[in-house]
Order: sequence, then structure tokens, then C-alpha cells
Amino acid sequence: MATVANATPLGRPSDDRKIVNFKIPAIATVGLLAIMVFYRTFQRMFAWTAGLDSTDPVFDTYWMGLLKAELVLIPLLWVGVWSYIWFTRDKNLYSITPREELRRYFNLVLFIFVYAVAVWFAASFFAEQDASWHQTVVRDTSFTPSHVVLFYGTMPLYVTFGVGSLLYATTRLPKYADNISIPLVLAVAGPFMILPNLGFNEWGHAFWMMEEVFTAPLHWGFVVMGWTVLALGGLLLQIAQHMITLLRQMGELAESEGEVIAG
Amino acid sequence: MRDNPGQTIYGIKWSKEGAKLSRTFDIIVAVILLLAVAGATHLHFMLLAGDWDFWVDWKDREFWVTLTPIVAIMFPAALQYMFWKYFRLPIAATLAIVGLMIGEWLNRYYGFHLWSYFPMSMVWPAMLLPSALALDAILLLTGNFLLTAIFGGMAFSLLFYPSNWFMLAPYRLPVQIMDYLASVGDVMGYSFTRTATPEYLRMIERGTLRTFGGHSATVSAFFSGFVCILTYMVWWGFGVLFSRVITVPNTFKKLLGLVPKAAGTSTQQGGKDTKLTTSTVGGV
Repeated sequence: MATVANATPLGRPSDDRKIVNFKIPAIATVGLLAIMVFYRTFQRMFAWTAGLDSTDPVFDTYWMGLLKAELVLIPLLWVGVWSYIWFTRDKNLYSITPREELRRYFNLVLFIFVYAVAVWFAASFFAEQDASWHQTVVRDTSFTPSHVVLFYGTMPLYVTFGVGSLLYATTRLPKYADNISIPLVLAVAGPFMILPNLGFNEWGHAFWMMEEVFTAPLHWGFVVMGWTVLALGGLLLQIAQHMITLLRQMGELAESEGEVIAG
Repeated sequence: MRDNPGQTIYGIKWSKEGAKLSRTFDIIVAVILLLAVAGATHLHFMLLAGDWDFWVDWKDREFWVTLTPIVAIMFPAALQYMFWKYFRLPIAATLAIVGLMIGEWLNRYYGFHLWSYFPMSMVWPAMLLPSALALDAILLLTGNFLLTAIFGGMAFSLLFYPSNWFMLAPYRLPVQIMDYLASVGDVMGYSFTRTATPEYLRMIERGTLRTFGGHSATVSAFFSGFVCILTYMVWWGFGVLFSRVITVPNTFKKLLGLVPKAAGTSTQQGGKDTKLTTSTVGGV
């Protein structure tokens, strides 16, 4: 049985790009972690000293300052990331090689990985922290030290990667360009809809003057939106289906070229 | 190649590169699943049962014993369908609950303790791992959804209360405060003021478990088990629904400005996708 050294199994000798490239996802993940550490440190330093009274000038300096920065920077990030994906889209999707397609599937999976990191911080870490703060300190504004980070910081951040992964799949992968994947849309749209649901939440708290019972029906919108994360299961199965097809092609081509098959 | 049929696994002839890519894919997906399942389960749990689990003086009330298993079994049930049906992995409940525990312990420490200055002894999260292990074990042993719902759902609930007894017991010791009998948990609840939650005073007084547990705790656990059976069935259905791969034609394709497909030019578009079943999913 012959072994072909340094073979490019799908016959693209000119395409020496790695199929799995961790560089950009690693930078994005480290960047996200840095932002989360910054948020947590900022809260620790200025929540009790400058975050108790929204009419206090220091509140305006620290918390409204952070909010304004977020309201400018994060939409700019949206525009930047989404525009880049859109304007660099591949219009010749149907002529790409299976190897290139496989590379793009890995890019999509890594995009979803970054999305999952961002979602975890919003849905788990900072969300329950909201309970610890609001059940302790009376809220006198919608822009509390907890909300400035959770609602206007971490949630818009994960929207960047959620919508980005949907755009990436639609503009880079033939099967997603041909047919819209409902699991992918659900996995992106559900968590995204948590953002507009904030409006209802804040309106309810202001209008009904509710106490901070976390399980109050007012919060159930967040719960239902959160359930759609389960659609990631369907999405990963779909990606696996597509990748199995490509890997099978890879195996068959490698076999025809005489490459040793892994046991 | 033909001399070694073992190199064809689950109907796929693996190239060296393909096998390596498959393993890489597995690892990335495992981390994604842990993060996503942990985040979603935590969000779901904290907003449906959270209040009774945040504070030690709320624990041991009838709501805690009743609601916690009912809410906690939902994600494990849905995930069990996906993991068992497609991967024959009986770990879904444990994965969901481990994710929930990680998130809760991190937050109780960094949020409740370090940020809001509650003692950890007042805010520790409930223990659900024995329940999750039992649910997974019953699915593994029976391989049957209905039996898992009936026996697993009941076990999930009945194991919950005794699993927490070891941590809860010290808070149930009676103490005398200004000539009134209270529990240590009650005294802590009154001592550490939660300014924005006056409502809790009324809600916790409604329960009867505060009279040092007794038969009502057991009744609540059995009632919870009954609801857990039904909840498990419904959420198994959610698992079926959310793992379905549904697509609709992209009517916005013109916007993408794609060059139309030429007949016979695409290598990857011609064939149908591999149907993902337990026999083909293998290492991918």
C-alpha cells in the first residue's frame, strides 16, 4: 500500500491554507475574555462607590460614561464585522473545492464557538449577578451597574457573533446559501431577541414597580428566548451531515491516490 | 485498502487528514456544547426557580422542593434525546447539570459573595448531581424514553431533597430569638437584609415546610416527581423538535449576487447529504 507524502487529499496543490485555523478565533476569544475581566473589575471598583444613586454626578461619570462608550463602540463593531463578512462574500460559491468548503465549515464552527463563549458570559455569569445586585440595591434607573454590563455590554456583544455566524454561513457555504437553516436561524434569533425583550423588561419594572423576584413572569420572555439555544443541537447535526459528505469525498479521493487510510 | 476493512468506519473511508479533522471537530463541538448548555440551562433555571435557590432561608420551603426538580429536568430531557438518539451517549443530564453547577458556583462566589457581600453559607446552590446521574443511568439501563420518564423523572425529584440534606441540616437547627422559635436559616434571612425583595417575607410564610419539614417535604417531593414525569415527556419532545434539521429555500439569494450553478460543475452539490443516524455519525 503506497503512501503519498504531503498529499493534498482533494487535489488542490495550490491551496495550502490550513483547514483549521485557530488564529482569528483565538484572538476573538482572548479579546472577549479581556472585556469580561474589564467589566467585572469595573463593577467591583465602581458599583458601590459610584453606582448607588443615579442622580449622583459620579454615577454620570462612571456608569453613564461606560454606557455611552458601549452604545457607540458595540454598534461600530456590528457594522465592522457584518460589513466585512458581507462585502468579502464569495459570489462563486458553486465552484469551490470540497477542501475549501471544509475549511469554511471549520470557520463557521469556530465562529459559533466564539458566539458560545460570549453567550455563556451573558446568560450565566452576568445574568445571575444581576440578581445579587438588584435584590440588594434598590434600582432607581434602568442603567444600573448590573444592567450597564449585562444588557448593554455582554448581550450586544454576543449578537455580533451570532448574526455574524449566520451571515458567514449564508455568504460562504453553498448549502446555507441555497437553503436557510432553521436551526441556525433559531440559535441566532432567540438569543438576539433577548435584546429587544429588555425593553419590555425595563418597561415592566418601571411601570409596575415590581420587586426583584427573579422568577416573576415578567422575566419569562428571557427564558423562552434562551430555550432556542437548544437549536444548536440541530445545527451541529446539520453541519456534521455536510462535513461527513465532504470527509467521505476526501477519503475516497485519498484512497484513489493511494494514501494510507487512518485506522 | 481492501486488505484492511477496519479502516472503513461507519461507512466512511477515513484519510489521515480526515480522521484528524474529525477529532478536532469533536473537541471544538464538545466545548461549544458545554458553554451553550451551561449558559442556557443556567438562564432557564435562575429565572424559573432561582429565587428559592438563591437564599438559604428560602431553601426547604415547599416551592424549593417542588419547583427545583421540575425546572431542572427540562434541559436534561431535551438533551438526552439528542445525545442518546444520535450519539448513544448517556451523559446529557449530567452535562447539563454540571454546566449549571459551574455557572452557579462561579456566580454565587463572584456575584453574591464578592460583589454583594452575602456569606457563601447563605447563597450556596442546590446539589442536583445525584438526580442527574440517576436520570442518565436509567436511560442507559433501559434505553427507553417512557421508562426513563417514569422512573427517571420520579428518581430525579426524590433524590433531590435528600441530596441536599447534608448541606441544609445545620440551618434547620432551632434557635430562640427574642422569645420566638426560629431556624438558623430564618435568622440568617432576617439578618442579611435584601432591600429590594420585601415580597419574599409574604411568600415564604405561606409554606408549611418551615415548620421543620416533616411529611409535607415528602409529599412535595412526590408531587414534584409526578410533574417531573410529565415535564420530561414534554421536553423530550422539545429535544425532537430542536434537533430536526429543517431548511427552507433562500428567497434572498439574489441579494447575494451569486453566480448561478452550472450543471455538473459542483462536486459537492450533486450528492445528497449523509443521513445522520447512529450508524453513520461515528467520529464526526
